[in-house]
Amino acid sequence: MRNHHKQSFWTKYIFSTDHKVIGKQFLWLGIFFLLFGGFQAMLIRWSLSNTMEHLPWWLLGDILYQDSPVGAGVIGPDAYNQLFTMHGTIMIFWAITPILIGAIGNFCIPLQIGAPDMVFPKLNMISFWTMFLASVVLLVSYLLPEGTAAGGWTSYPPLSTPVGGIPGQGQVFWTLSLTLAGTSTLMGAINYITTIVRLRAPGMGYFKMPLTVWGLFLTSILNALFVPIIAAGLIILLLDNVAGTQFLVAGGKATIPGGDPLLYQHVFWIFGHPEVYILILPAWGVVSDLLSVFARKPAFGYKATAICMCAITTLSTVVWGHHMYTTGMSPLLGKTFMFLTLLISIPSAIFFLNWLGTLWRGSLRFEVPMLFAMSVMWVFGLGGLTGLYNATITSDIYLHDTYFVVGHFHYTMAASVLFGGFAAIYFWFPKMFGKRMNNKLGKVHFWLSFVPLNLVFFNMMVMGYAGHHRRIFDPTEYEFLAPVLGLNDFMTISAYILGAAQCVFIANFFYSLLKGKVAEKNPWKAATLEWTLDAPIPHGNFASVPTVYNGPHEYSHPDLKDRDWISQSEPMSS
Amino acid sequence: MKILNRLIKKTTSILPGIWFLDPPRDVSLDGYRIDNVIQYTDTVITIYFGIVVLAMLYFIIKYRSRPGHSAVYDRGDTKKHVAISIAMGLLVFFSIDVVIEGMSFRDLKEAFWNFPTGSDIVRIEVMPQQFAWNLRYPGNDGQFGTDDDLIPAQNQLHIPVNRPVVIQIAPYDVIHSFYLPNFRVKVDATPGMTNTMWFQATEIGNFEIACAELCGNSHYRMKGYLTVESEEEFSNWLQEQEEEGPEDDWGDEDEEIPTRWGWTWKEAI
Repeated sequence: MRNHHKQSFWTKYIFSTDHKVIGKQFLWLGIFFLLFGGFQAMLIRWSLSNTMEHLPWWLLGDILYQDSPVGAGVIGPDAYNQLFTMHGTIMIFWAITPILIGAIGNFCIPLQIGAPDMVFPKLNMISFWTMFLASVVLLVSYLLPEGTAAGGWTSYPPLSTPVGGIPGQGQVFWTLSLTLAGTSTLMGAINYITTIVRLRAPGMGYFKMPLTVWGLFLTSILNALFVPIIAAGLIILLLDNVAGTQFLVAGGKATIPGGDPLLYQHVFWIFGHPEVYILILPAWGVVSDLLSVFARKPAFGYKATAICMCAITTLSTVVWGHHMYTTGMSPLLGKTFMFLTLLISIPSAIFFLNWLGTLWRGSLRFEVPMLFAMSVMWVFGLGGLTGLYNATITSDIYLHDTYFVVGHFHYTMAASVLFGGFAAIYFWFPKMFGKRMNNKLGKVHFWLSFVPLNLVFFNMMVMGYAGHHRRIFDPTEYEFLAPVLGLNDFMTISAYILGAAQCVFIANFFYSLLKGKVAEKNPWKAATLEWTLDAPIPHGNFASVPTVYNGPHEYSHPDLKDRDWISQSEPMSS
Repeated sequence: MKILNRLIKKTTSILPGIWFLDPPRDVSLDGYRIDNVIQYTDTVITIYFGIVVLAMLYFIIKYRSRPGHSAVYDRGDTKKHVAISIAMGLLVFFSIDVVIEGMSFRDLKEAFWNFPTGSDIVRIEVMPQQFAWNLRYPGNDGQFGTDDDLIPAQNQLHIPVNRPVVIQIAPYDVIHSFYLPNFRVKVDATPGMTNTMWFQATEIGNFEIACAELCGNSHYRMKGYLTVESEEEFSNWLQEQEEEGPEDDWGDEDEEIPTRWGWTWKEAI
């Protein structure tokens, strides 16, 4: 099984086909863009609280925006629109996707199912390098004279086409880079699905897979089905931008009849709603496994959890219309979408209850990954429940396109997924790099993230409820927004603390990487297969194909005598 | 249904504010319906989230790892466990989702999708463009797209109090969204289609119109002014508009100015 042929520096670290190396490459890329997108969030907050003021030195005010038309070092409305457009795009497609799907998926899937590697190692490598190319195209767009894309992360046409009046070629670069990123994701998805279906070790039935693998499996299925759809939409948008077509343009400014802007919205959200679940399913899986490890008992209702995840995945494909209630959708269609959306409550509630059930009567160890996993319960609970307002047509008429929606999706997508990702990084760091992360710094990072994050995102919902609409460069423009201005400043300060807390994480990450304590083989006493291997894990992973006897969460089994866990590949002695 | 309504009112009054900011003052006939459904959702999700948080806190204290304490091996997959889980899932569904769905469908049927008929309706056509609201009143003949249409200054929407106002909207360039925070309503303006929406003011005063859909760099100040006035003031204002003739203040000088943008009114179903 082991791959013994000699590897040069290039084939070992750069153009590697080893899933563990590719996973780490995705991790570096994801962390870079997490910081990049996070820094943009700081600039957005500055601009919202200190509109048209010179950026301070700690936001690089003497380096950034020197050619700004409203004064050197000052963010104007154009720059502001570019900021929130790219913040959304980067966080979703360049930070969360590479970290949770690229890094955790690549690292965990083969190790957790007992496979030597991905089933298509070269495709895996091409997937990363396509993502790298996409990142280059994305970053180059910042060098354009008029700057990067400014049509919002949704890039609704006609605004995102030449008739929208946004100067420059930023939108073209945005569309191209997103198409490339989608191609990368699609290659990854095909690889993950095939690997999980074909390369499970003997005895590893579907209902013996860790829930992390379940989450990544379902995510990959959604990606394989829906990324091609957004790709089609992006290609039409690209043609409108570069080839003079008007597929997505209508109204007074259209010169060719027959275009329809709504077409793009449908295509975008047919992909866009599953995308939410694409991002959250791996996080759910990770959290379900981690709660079990740190509660020292099996995941409560394991099979029900897996089935609920399948049900949510299926339902997520037929609810996209709830993003479009205010577009003048036919009443019958609106009601149908509302009913289908609300159905998601049932599996979500069962699923959430199983998380609580896992904690119930456990022996809870509050290690850093556990803190993040439990915080996902908090943020996802809030994010999920506040989805109800947006699923309901009447309350959505008022709350649509306000900060309420922004707060809601930051809870579900940003907070849940990010905390799930942090839990995963803290948890698998010892296996990835053979070192322990600093526990104290981890706890500081947790509390400095958890509290300010809630102060920012919850207050976004409060502001939205007070009527504050989205993507407003200067909130002082409206009289009805006067009551929220104080809150606005409070959120900005909270956001700075949240941003600074991530420096603690970065410091911890690199410090531990270089000078951390050497990790034991199984520091968390976890039962899944990756912990049976010594770090560094060689190319080819397992010396011999493991045979799987137990489920992924055999903790505190009454037959166990000297320890409270048993690996999946160890027969239970009776 | 009446008992249910009363029950909803009772429960929602217990917990008026997990939100510590109020929405803008509601001055519309049907805005209270939206506030009610939001308040009901507030209340029940506060209760459910509160239960979850209390349970978590209890578990954190009671089941924390410590010498002499060990976990109970429990896979939670017996028939009893599954039945309880499903029952809880259904409880959540019926106590929140079904109720708000019922409220929402009722409100849509009775108000938001129940377009007014009758002779006292005020009809207005709106054509947003980057970055202003163009308005058009039908004039004496009651028909749009004719010579006697009244076109007031951009962004100046006047309506009479206590009369249903029907807005028909289609933009010139990109997508905009006509948003009246004080009336709890919002409708997208998508190029190539007309959308219709209605509301009724219950108070005289000045309110703001905002664009809720990103429409370009000046989206943030695409602001309109809504003046709700008495019947008499409104007809005086219409009279003035008639005397002044159409206002032609299309902003951009290099912009082709469409002289006739009105369309034949499309009756809502």
